[in-house]
Amino acid sequence: MDYLFSYLILASIFVILGLSTNLLVGVVGIFSVSQAAIFGVGAYTVGYALSNDIMGFVPALALAAVVCLVLNVLITLPSLRVSGDYFVVTSFGIQLLATAAFTNWDAITGGASGMAGIPTADLFGLPIDTSLKTLILTACVACLACFAFRLVMRSPFGRLLMALREDELAVAAAGRQVLRAKVEAAALAGVFAGVAGGLYAVYLSFIDPSTFDLDASVLLLTMVVLGGARTLAGSIVGPFVVVALPQLLSLIDLPTAIAASARQGIYGVLLVAFMLFRPQGLMGRKI
Amino acid sequence: MLLLQLLINGLVTGSALGIIAISFSLAYSTTRIFHVAHAGIYTLAGYVAYALEKSGAPDIVGLLAAMAICAVAGALIQSELYARLAQRRASHLAVLIASLGLLAVIQNFLASVFTPNILPFGSAWRGRTLSFGGVTLTEVQIATLVICLAVFPCSLWFTRRTVLGKQIRAVASNPFLAEITALRPQRTFVIVMAIASAMVAIPGALVAFDFGVQPYDGTTVLLTATIAVIAGGIGSLTGAFLMAMLISVLQNLSLLVISGEWSVGVTFLIFLVFMLFRPRGLFTRR
Repeated sequence: MDYLFSYLILASIFVILGLSTNLLVGVVGIFSVSQAAIFGVGAYTVGYALSNDIMGFVPALALAAVVCLVLNVLITLPSLRVSGDYFVVTSFGIQLLATAAFTNWDAITGGASGMAGIPTADLFGLPIDTSLKTLILTACVACLACFAFRLVMRSPFGRLLMALREDELAVAAAGRQVLRAKVEAAALAGVFAGVAGGLYAVYLSFIDPSTFDLDASVLLLTMVVLGGARTLAGSIVGPFVVVALPQLLSLIDLPTAIAASARQGIYGVLLVAFMLFRPQGLMGRKI
Repeated sequence: MLLLQLLINGLVTGSALGIIAISFSLAYSTTRIFHVAHAGIYTLAGYVAYALEKSGAPDIVGLLAAMAICAVAGALIQSELYARLAQRRASHLAVLIASLGLLAVIQNFLASVFTPNILPFGSAWRGRTLSFGGVTLTEVQIATLVICLAVFPCSLWFTRRTVLGKQIRAVASNPFLAEITALRPQRTFVIVMAIASAMVAIPGALVAFDFGVQPYDGTTVLLTATIAVIAGGIGSLTGAFLMAMLISVLQNLSLLVISGEWSVGVTFLIFLVFMLFRPRGLFTRR
């Protein structure tokens, strides 16, 4: 039962992250391999605030959301100034820089050995100390995020974002503000990633840099690609399938030494295969 | 003296980085694909050399075999992946994601076969050093510097003077016009990718001789090389090579001030400065 709970909790956290990545990659069409870095900043913010007893869980989560919002906007800004391919470099650079910071900034992050013993969450005095309560919390937040995503996609703002991907010049010519729309999309994606990071930190009570590295960003991209770009259904299906994959793989008897590499390799195969044969993913639209 | 040693070390790694940068630039300016999987080819070269050394072949054979195998791999990537994606009218983003996926496949395949750890070479010349004027270099470092400094003018001569090089530049500057003058861009793309992959195999093997092989190192190296390409000005091989030298020297000199873990930060800072003040690069002509 605990096993099922842990799967559902992780999957719902990754649904929130999937929505965040989908907003940037699927909807606006910005290539991003730095979403795991933002996720990490959210996790470390909440982890640090709770471990040092600076504030409660809810304010910490709000702080993480704000920090990630600002950060994601700052990261995305170069993509407004320079053409798409330059942003690939920026994105890779930010991810590698973030990993370096998580690993080497020992005073705050605990370095390579990570941050352990993060206290459990509490909602206005109500402790979230069992798996069931955590599941209810993460599922509620995930539903909220899905609802927000759906609202955004159906609003005029969502249509503007879609148009942006199709033809930026036409959007500008129609008198819409390209820059502002992109910044707002990045801000929303940042909030999602920050909240997901905070939930992740309190659920596992242990975080280390390897959870937020380039591989993790590739994992997030795999979720979006597999589920499908731009649809809510895709953003939910993708994480649920990809989070289940390691469990399925553990049924095959791989030596532990190569299990991690094999798993990451399979994500790579999925990325290539979906781009070749099914760019719309399982239930999305063409990326 | 430390300053001089770091400067020379920077020039050695810079020359290797320069070849990576011009090979990427060649592929990128022709196919217009941001070929992230190039980092995988670079890594593959090291492992080919490693496998051959373990089976007793001399290092020069390893280097040549790495070039041959990488050329084939590059040609296959173009003809079997990128060409098919182009045929299906995949978006730019989709090609980029496929390339990233391919990088993950190559790196993790190598990690599964050879373990994810750093594997050092056993060859004797890694340890033999030459000293002059207070600077100590290993024979591998000298070979790297000499070979890479020789490859650079060869690549300039190739793209400017040979018929094939001119065809490549023609396709790069206008694929549509090249198509109607029967230059067959897709065929040229395959050739370019083969050449670029063979080129990147040279530093791939040489750097591996010196530091050993590691499956995931290539990503940071390619990122640094792409920064050199952009800062040097897209399409300018000389710019890319010189910027790679400069970045590498700055990275090495920065060791005097800050610790090595932050060298990604230094590189990235250079990139941001260029993006802010000279987004077209140092060496582009109007």
